[in-house]
Amino acid sequence: MYDKIFPPKQVVLPNGKTVQEKRTRIPLILLVLLVATVLSVNLTDFNLRMLVTRIDQFFVIIGQMIPPKWSYFSPVWSALLATLQMSLLGSMIGAALALPFAVLSSSNIIRNRVVTAIFKTVLSLIRTLPTLVSAIIAKFIFGLGPTAGVAAILLFTLSYVGKLLYEQIENVDMGAFEAMESAGMTRVQAFRYAIFPQVLPGFLSTSLFCFEGNVRYAAILGYVGAGGIGLIINENIGWRDYPRVGMIILALVVTVYLIETVSEHFRKKLI
Amino acid sequence: MIEFKNVDKTYANGTSALKNINLAIEQGEFVAVIGLSGAGKSTLIRCINRMHDITGGQLHVDGVDVAKLRGSQIRRFRRRIGMIFQSFNLVTRTTVIKNVLVSFVPDLPLWRKWFGVFTREQKIKALEALDKVGILDKAFVRVDQLSGGQQQRVALARTLAQNPDIILADEPIASLDPVTSRMVMDDFKRINRDMNISVIMNIHHVEVALEYADRIIGIRKGEVVFDGKSERVTKEILDDIYGGKIEEMNPSPEEFMAHVR
Amino acid sequence: MTTVEKQLLASPRNYGYILMVALIVLFLFGWSLTAVSFQGMNESGLKIAGNILKGIVHPDLDLLLKVSKQSVLYLLAQTVAIAFLGTLVGAVLSVPLAFLAASNIVPKPVSWLTRLLLIVIRTIPALVYGLMFIRVAGQGPFAGVLTIGLTSIGMLAKLYVDAIEELDTRVLESMTSIGCTTFEKIRYGIFPQLLSVFLSVTIYRFDMNMREAAILGLVGAGGIGAPLTFAMNGYKWNQVGSILIGLVVLILIIELLSNKLRARLVKG
Repeated sequence: MYDKIFPPKQVVLPNGKTVQEKRTRIPLILLVLLVATVLSVNLTDFNLRMLVTRIDQFFVIIGQMIPPKWSYFSPVWSALLATLQMSLLGSMIGAALALPFAVLSSSNIIRNRVVTAIFKTVLSLIRTLPTLVSAIIAKFIFGLGPTAGVAAILLFTLSYVGKLLYEQIENVDMGAFEAMESAGMTRVQAFRYAIFPQVLPGFLSTSLFCFEGNVRYAAILGYVGAGGIGLIINENIGWRDYPRVGMIILALVVTVYLIETVSEHFRKKLI
Repeated sequence: MIEFKNVDKTYANGTSALKNINLAIEQGEFVAVIGLSGAGKSTLIRCINRMHDITGGQLHVDGVDVAKLRGSQIRRFRRRIGMIFQSFNLVTRTTVIKNVLVSFVPDLPLWRKWFGVFTREQKIKALEALDKVGILDKAFVRVDQLSGGQQQRVALARTLAQNPDIILADEPIASLDPVTSRMVMDDFKRINRDMNISVIMNIHHVEVALEYADRIIGIRKGEVVFDGKSERVTKEILDDIYGGKIEEMNPSPEEFMAHVR
Repeated sequence: MTTVEKQLLASPRNYGYILMVALIVLFLFGWSLTAVSFQGMNESGLKIAGNILKGIVHPDLDLLLKVSKQSVLYLLAQTVAIAFLGTLVGAVLSVPLAFLAASNIVPKPVSWLTRLLLIVIRTIPALVYGLMFIRVAGQGPFAGVLTIGLTSIGMLAKLYVDAIEELDTRVLESMTSIGCTTFEKIRYGIFPQLLSVFLSVTIYRFDMNMREAAILGLVGAGGIGAPLTFAMNGYKWNQVGSILIGLVVLILIIELLSNKLRARLVKG
């Protein structure tokens, strides 16, 4: 398109040879970025002066978080456990459900185009929905409490793991599958013995990775009434009790770091 | 004209890399430097454009006393000497022509340097350089999409764009397969002959060196043990340069040529 | 014993290990199950689910298509703007941090400290920053921009660091031989290597930030999130439907564009 509006430049060498040089797109890209920035500044009320004059407040808040209020640890601990439970359960069920979804979305296993297209669309639609939005919807259905959080995490895990898994299945080496089918196995049997072992390590590692992220998501779900650590974060910021917020954040950072380290250990083992 | 007079090079850790080197290389010569790995070939070449400092003796390039150059003088001096490396040393994530244009960067006025805007003449010169090594059609392709041999030609074009008097080549074909090696060596030979540019090349493949170079310099443990026309090199001389290890060091010449033909 | 039997016995046995892992996983599953209860769920829950579905099928087209400050289109544009500016702010802040965290540029202790800072920044949930920035900049999209900027740093800087540590320094040697100064080496040897990777990572983050920006409205940081919550709390399911449709379509379009752009950056 661009080449048609601005035709390539002809460069003629002294020895008569010619070369087509495409016009550079950099000015266009810069222009688009500039326009986008100006528009965004207007749409978001971006205010540099306010930022400069008020940003110290941000660090004042951080300053108040240090030192954290250690005695607040026990309520944090129980909320943290609730958050962990939410994300564990959601991740496990979601990952387990992702398996059939992924198989049904893989065009090399399921011959019916309509079925694979439907499942792929469902997966990508769920994935698009921000977790917090699905949590609010779940709250209306399951009532206040961790169940709504579990449902939201479950949906996200299902879509994320499901998508990566079907991409993996579709890229798998089909030779073994065909050999087993020709040896008289059913398609299900052939999948179990030819494809499943190939994708299993990737599946487990994706699920673990997803779980890592889910702990962080679960931490904010409390905000919409799903319990756990998000609830007390919201309360304490509301009361401006920053030493307590500091305690919560410290506990969260340590927990997430530990989980990431353990999960990374297992993921490295899998690959 | 490159002149080594009693040149010594000792590294900071005490290793003596070059000992009492005496050489004179005329403009337009094609010289191959051969010897075992670690014999000092690389050091010898890198002393010529001051990538390494010599620690004793004198080194003159076209009358310039290389050891006495300072700061920007070194950079200006290097403009006239091209250098080719075993690993091509290109920016692979950008186009061929941008890699060649790097040669003109030191001559740009400041604003052009910041924004990377080159003049039309510079672009034409860069394209001409690419034409000389036969990859004009790849000018606007990204380097990571080229084969090894094509990448080494881009490096060669980058050097040609400098319009150098001398090209130093450090193992230019060591990462290439025999057929591609041959094409790159043909480029070197043509550039050497047509443009009267001196070529000084480190090379592992003895047979290729003998075929393409006018003159062979054999180095063993930092000393020149042979210096003469390629035709004069015999089995005994090679045994001397390689300390009797020639069979281990190189693919046998017959085997190498079998790949080529 | 035949050789076949010997081989059978010699086959690697890590059943114990697998069994242990399975037991731990099972235990964790059981423990987590205690968190959920379905007592809160009753018939009204199912009815609401039905209503939501009805709302999505019959969206409030007026809200979706009209152009005003309350319309879905305007709010979506604002959401994109928050994500875009936030990504820009985050990218600008991430570049110096990335260089400070790259072990091949700065001394070990400095890079270690910067990495620690990045981990802390990355772990704190976006909503916490959102609530804090509202205290600083007041309610509205500006707080959203600052929040997105700060949350992006964690991932952007981490991926930038990877690119810096993978830099090919051999090209610098050849530029030395051409006679380039240090500035010229950075501008023409290092900058082009980093540019395409940095851009590709930043575009990917922009894609992710769309989702973040959509939920920030919940805390009052602008964008589509706030009206979505209001509509839900007011049980106006056809408004919810129109907002969700707009959001999903927008996110899908941006994801598609981002994938295309990144593929071009990688392949050239």
